[in-house]
Amino acid sequence: MTYYNNAIFTKRELLVRILKLLKKDSLLEEIDRIPLEMRPRTKAPIRCCVHKDRAVIKYKIMALLGYNISDEEDELTPLREYAAEALLQEKITGNFLTVVDEACSSCVKVNYTVSNLCQGCEGRSCQVNCPKDAIQIINGKAFIDHQKCVNCGLCQKACPFHAIAYLPVPCEESCPVNAISKNEYGVEEIDFDKCIHCGKCMNSCPFGAINEKSQILHIYKQIQTKTPTIALVAPAVLGQFKAEAGKILNAISKLGFADVIEVAQGADITTQHETAEWKEKMEAGETFMTTSCCPAYTELTQKHIKGLIPHVSHTPSPMVFTADVAREKYPNAKLVFIGPCLAKRKEAFLNKSVDYVMTAEELGAFFAVEGIDVTQNEALASSAAITPEGRGFAASGGVTAAIESILPEGTNFKAFMVNGLSKKTIKLLKTFPIRPPKANFVEVMACEGGCISGPGIIAPSQMGQANLRKAIDELKEKAIV
Amino acid sequence: MTKPTITIKICCGTMCYIMGGAELHLLKEHLPAHIAPLVKIEGASCLGVCQDDNEDRPPCVMINDELIPNATIQKIITHITKQL
Ligand code: FES
Repeated sequence: MTYYNNAIFTKRELLVRILKLLKKDSLLEEIDRIPLEMRPRTKAPIRCCVHKDRAVIKYKIMALLGYNISDEEDELTPLREYAAEALLQEKITGNFLTVVDEACSSCVKVNYTVSNLCQGCEGRSCQVNCPKDAIQIINGKAFIDHQKCVNCGLCQKACPFHAIAYLPVPCEESCPVNAISKNEYGVEEIDFDKCIHCGKCMNSCPFGAINEKSQILHIYKQIQTKTPTIALVAPAVLGQFKAEAGKILNAISKLGFADVIEVAQGADITTQHETAEWKEKMEAGETFMTTSCCPAYTELTQKHIKGLIPHVSHTPSPMVFTADVAREKYPNAKLVFIGPCLAKRKEAFLNKSVDYVMTAEELGAFFAVEGIDVTQNEALASSAAITPEGRGFAASGGVTAAIESILPEGTNFKAFMVNGLSKKTIKLLKTFPIRPPKANFVEVMACEGGCISGPGIIAPSQMGQANLRKAIDELKEKAIV
Repeated sequence: MTKPTITIKICCGTMCYIMGGAELHLLKEHLPAHIAPLVKIEGASCLGVCQDDNEDRPPCVMINDELIPNATIQKIITHITKQL
């Protein structure tokens, strides 16, 4: 769970500011003012000085314009030039996270530190128990030699005064696949051969150093063109505002989308196919099948658990099916997927089902800039053809429930849920190819709680869950009438 | 029964909402038991703070007639306690 923090709000303020300038049609003229306006001299700096703060803001803007921070060739290049280039042509490389090295505080290399609680006792159990001889006593106090320490933590356990503290590196700790580590300069770097785009590092860094590369600029521009733009709205989005689903959908259409289609519609198709596929696999004597709709999970199997690949369902994700529906109806349109997910950016990049991906957070910024109050809005009638289970995909257990709902009673369907990818659950998943689970269906969600707790949400997840349940009940009521 | 004496209006405008206002809607669950019955929580549409360029930042709430910018759940509770 991510606690709200100022780093998250800085990102949202930047989104709002960029969109405001786009709306005013003065992006190029004013974009270089944003760092100055947000970090004025008159305020106490957050980092060492106002100039560092401004540099950090500049690089965060670069990320939001779609650049890798490492794309910078000349430090003097103003944001105006990046923006101008981005407006002409979108740069997509397939990696959707970038580390702002200026912002990375280069957290500790060694996770243990001796605090001033050290009494310099006679026992010196820290020193006696250190397997690497890394503890020295200087002036009667223990010190850890960073060259020798291997972070085993024995000294901390051994100290009777609790004088040794554990200092985590939040991004490294949150990454379930060890894809982020320090480079030779002590700055964090993401290894994209390992990264599964779960987005956990991004929200865990207290310095906001890890940023996603956004497409807001291009989406904004796309909406202005004559080509119709269609919004595909993930069910998790319906949990993000304090308003009923119809109002949220209407608010989205007011942003200039020619049509708004719920991804729950595609989820219903996924349910049909996935159920059929599961039956086939079971009849063919396979031991189990896993879901495929979470793109961070499928990336995990490809990069880290190859043995699981044969067990992953081949059924396309709800986003893909919804895109098919949209393309059939509007063959010339551009499609924007709106959801809470970072990994969807990667999925869309790979399968080209949609043209753009936008997070719920970015959607919120669009609303704010266009002055749209979701609550003060008429409700759009939502498609009656959607099932409550389709919308339920957004929460953990949703896919399982959807499949169960269409299986005939008495089917031998035993589900197991991996609710959130962590080092621990990945370890478990790694055992499945060798020792199949007792269940014959495994649902995997990278985010604990499901998409509704994704990295790009606005509403706290407990509120999102409640809102989503309300949206689902609305549909049920409609079905009864 | 004690009557609510304090009215809290949480700004539901979009700017406040995305800048942390969403979190404020959980206020009810965080109110200490002795304060909760005295407080009435309502929603409000944009209070206008987000529109001008001053020091006050969203999210905002109104506690009776007092505007609290930069609101957090803790800040609200502190204010209420002061008024009691
Ligand atoms: S949205 Fe709260 S003051 Fe405008």
